Amino acid sequence: MEQKNTINYRKPLQWGEHDPNRHKNMFVGMWAWMWQRITAIAIVFLLPLHLTLTYKPWLQFLLLLAVTFHATLGLRVILLDFNLVNIKYQKALIWGLTGLGLLVFSLVWAAI
Amino acid sequence: MSAGQGNTRKISIYRYDPTEGGDGHFDKYDLYIEDETNTTILDVLIRIQREQDSTLAFRYACRVNMCGSCGMVINGREGLACKTNVSDFPGKEKITIRPLNHFPVVKDLVVDMGPFFEKYEDCLPFFEPKEDREEPYVIRPDSVERTAIGLATECIACGCCVSSCTMVNYHDGYAGPAPLNRAFTLLMDSRDALYDQRLDRVMQSCYNCRTEFNCTEVCPKEISSTKSIKYIQRMAMKDPFKGKTEASEDGQAVSEGCKGCGNEETDSGRRNFLTKMTLGIGAFSTLAVGGVLATSFVGPSMKKQKAQWVSAGKLEDLPKDNVTTIALNYKEQIGFYEQDRVKPVLVWRKSDSDKLVVYDSRCTHLGCQVRWDKPRSLFLCACHGGSFELDGSVKAGPPPRSLDELEYRVENGNLLIAMV
Repeated sequence: MEQKNTINYRKPLQWGEHDPNRHKNMFVGMWAWMWQRITAIAIVFLLPLHLTLTYKPWLQFLLLLAVTFHATLGLRVILLDFNLVNIKYQKALIWGLTGLGLLVFSLVWAAI
Repeated sequence: MSAGQGNTRKISIYRYDPTEGGDGHFDKYDLYIEDETNTTILDVLIRIQREQDSTLAFRYACRVNMCGSCGMVINGREGLACKTNVSDFPGKEKITIRPLNHFPVVKDLVVDMGPFFEKYEDCLPFFEPKEDREEPYVIRPDSVERTAIGLATECIACGCCVSSCTMVNYHDGYAGPAPLNRAFTLLMDSRDALYDQRLDRVMQSCYNCRTEFNCTEVCPKEISSTKSIKYIQRMAMKDPFKGKTEASEDGQAVSEGCKGCGNEETDSGRRNFLTKMTLGIGAFSTLAVGGVLATSFVGPSMKKQKAQWVSAGKLEDLPKDNVTTIALNYKEQIGFYEQDRVKPVLVWRKSDSDKLVVYDSRCTHLGCQVRWDKPRSLFLCACHGGSFELDGSVKAGPPPRSLDELEYRVENGNLLIAMV
């Protein structure tokens, strides 16, 4: 039997490629990161709209919501980066800070 | 033993045949498993290979989560096949097994770990003592460095973290969690001599972490590479320019004979570019913001002040053919700054008409206050003996020019003087 000398490696599988269960198994830390990215892009679009279309309640609501998420998740990363919170509480940080952010958000929204 | 009756599980396994090439596909197997709590995924693979498909390729050695050979993606999560039980996927859930991400696939579940270990070596994963010693070092178990390192030395280099990290997808130069974790354990080690060189190697990589904690979640040894990377980031921050200088001096010596250093040049080029860009953007935004702030704060005070009309009382109260000193009270506004001023002015009411001459009381020499000396009919400055005639011209002393006159107007018998 002839032996093939060259081995054709398959190019590396990418994250989520051929992986039907990957997305339902995404970890909360990754969602936190993605959600911060998404809200960042949302802010980029919402802020100019807010400047041009002033006093649109729905726009203000969306912008404030996006800023709330972006700020709380950013705060989480800062707290972890500078070791202000032990890294083992990272999941509690996500829920805690986001909850706190939403509470402040609802208070601010009720006040204005 | 425990879980009772057996179960037939559907298992689909990624297959890739190097002689055929292509994208690879999933093969489905049914396997009767007697006791799920007692059967690992590795057992499943071994049984399938023995009973159903002898061409199935996978890698294992120790079978007791010590060697890190059997890392693979099981139902969308990285893990060691020998550490994952079938009962971790309860009920009739299908079990999908597939090779690790970010590594070339050799066959089926076997991946080429070469690139991983190249990056591992790039981070100088070996201990280099600072000095030759007869006696062992004494590092207390409760010391800061030892507690920080903790169990991070337990890494078995299975590659699960690298597979789970999405950032490895997007950054070719990113060393990945495990190499950085290894570098961290040595960077923290006070006995190690290669701190600067190692820090220089990982400097770029350590900022690719996006704090997703995927590596922490999947690590079979429960090491948090995220924590290690954060430590490296903080170390890098302590002396931000140290790594750079070391690179020019010692970097070459260390990189000799190191395979992964082919990209050293492009790396430093990229680093230079990033440094320049950061400095450039920083300088630009500082200038822009600083410029706006400076003009808005300082600008108003640089403007020529508008004259302020200040009331100096009734005109008829002033004696004729005489000089009266009147103290004017008013608020002066310079930029954002407001202050109360009291400024004496000298008003000369001529005898023949209602004509007035209003002098600023400041001496034109150095700004001392001049006073009207009636007997001598002169304005005298006490500071340096300057004296002025009634018409304001200099009579004697150092003043370079005659007294400044101020504008005035009379409204309804009220004298208003323009203060600048």
